[in-house]
Amino acid sequence: MEQLLEILSPHFLLKNSLYAGLIVGFVCPQVGIFFVLRRMVLLGIALPQVSNAGITFAFLLHTLGIHFLPHMESEKFMALTGSVFFTLVAIFILAILERRRKGFTENRIGFTYSIAGAVSILFVSWNPYGQTEVLSLLKGEIVSIPDIYLWLMLAIYGTIFLCLIGFHRSFIVVSYDADMATTIGKKVILWDVLLYLIIGVVISFGVMTVGPLVIFGFLLIPAITARMITRGILPFCIVSSIIGVVASFLGFYLSYRFDLPTGPADIVLLSAILLVSFLGKMVFSWKR
Amino acid sequence: MNTDHCIALRDVSVGYHGRQILADINFSLKTGEFTVMFGPNGCGKTTLFKTILGIIPPIQGTITYGNAHYPGFGYVPQRQILDEIYPFTAEEVVLMGTFGQVKPFCPTTKTNRAWVEQCLKDVGMFELKKHLFSELSGGQKQRILIARALATKPGILLLDEPITGVDIMAQRMIMELISLLYKKHALTIVMVTHEIHSIPKWIDKLIWINNNKVLIGDSLEILAPLIAEEASFQGTLWH
Repeated sequence: MEQLLEILSPHFLLKNSLYAGLIVGFVCPQVGIFFVLRRMVLLGIALPQVSNAGITFAFLLHTLGIHFLPHMESEKFMALTGSVFFTLVAIFILAILERRRKGFTENRIGFTYSIAGAVSILFVSWNPYGQTEVLSLLKGEIVSIPDIYLWLMLAIYGTIFLCLIGFHRSFIVVSYDADMATTIGKKVILWDVLLYLIIGVVISFGVMTVGPLVIFGFLLIPAITARMITRGILPFCIVSSIIGVVASFLGFYLSYRFDLPTGPADIVLLSAILLVSFLGKMVFSWKR
Repeated sequence: MNTDHCIALRDVSVGYHGRQILADINFSLKTGEFTVMFGPNGCGKTTLFKTILGIIPPIQGTITYGNAHYPGFGYVPQRQILDEIYPFTAEEVVLMGTFGQVKPFCPTTKTNRAWVEQCLKDVGMFELKKHLFSELSGGQKQRILIARALATKPGILLLDEPITGVDIMAQRMIMELISLLYKKHALTIVMVTHEIHSIPKWIDKLIWINNNKVLIGDSLEILAPLIAEEASFQGTLWH
């Protein structure tokens, strides 16, 4: 209880990490909804890995003395740029190949995942300086988040959330029935590009903050769980974000209370919620 | 009946990715007509249909619409192409028909909600509006998709294989519903089918597509000898 009150205090030392986790827990499931509904779950594994490759590449460049800002802060912004650039390039190449139906989706995503994982390790091995930072990202240790980075994150994720709410109808109809969307005047390619852009930004920024494992978990597990226990698209969206926020807060509390890494604690909690929902649904169906 | 042309195809060729499936198609549809496009599976009916809808661009030729701009189409797709992973209720599927009229960031208006309810009533599905679309029977899903097309307030209703994959009773109910809507809403209707028995006798136009040929007649009787001849020539069985 004491730790809980400490966490809720406005003077809590790690409050930025808690807020960042809550933002990720709230917004990522809204993007994850489209991963689940458009059956792009595998892409959700590959893209965080690509983003990670972008970060390690940026660290490598920084160590080699190539950077745009003169002081230490440049490292974080370079990493963010690398993450965004790699993710957007990968998502658009994969989307173009998907539209042109070149080869099999699973093969493309499997290849992307392998190559991104391999180059990430190579970039780190050439750059021992960035190794600690990257390992901490991979483990999902959300510890030190500067104020400016938190505000930037709030601005970006807030804008994305507003886009998802405001253009919800277009994203839904284009995803569900692209032909019908065309007949009612929706520009399918435009909405697809915007959705991919949102996915790219959410993943690259999220990976920078909480790591690829945590982002993958928050994109998919809340949406999968909510899909199982809700009826209708509106409850599906609302429950996904509630699950994300609850898991993020409890995960942070448990990691603080028992000195565990936050990311894995979040994912285990999300998985526990999924399992309980599944069992609950089974019992409910059996009773009926 | 109004005799204005609402869609006219002139020397149109259709196909995918530059590969031509049907060529030199010339016909026009009048406002208020009930047209059936029929032919065996894979003959290019759906490709032609999607070209008329503007989903696929024509390879050659021109398609002109009645008053020079794209008319309001109510599109009823083959229900099998819709993924059941989406947790939509029947009402939410119909509500999708109003999405073309609502601006971003604006909530659904009461008028639109009332209109959706009216469309659900028109197809006899009002009582099942809170049911999950994925849990409905084939015939019920088809009626919901017709309601969704009506919700777009269409001038032309286009139905792609509306009775395929449903039982005989449901087929009869769907055809009765389409006839009723045709009369009640004074719609122009284009229906694609490969099932000859589903074609009503009172249709205004029949477009038969087979073996890269497009034949046009006023009724099944007029085309029947040609169809029989072609079918026996190709060894095709028509049920």
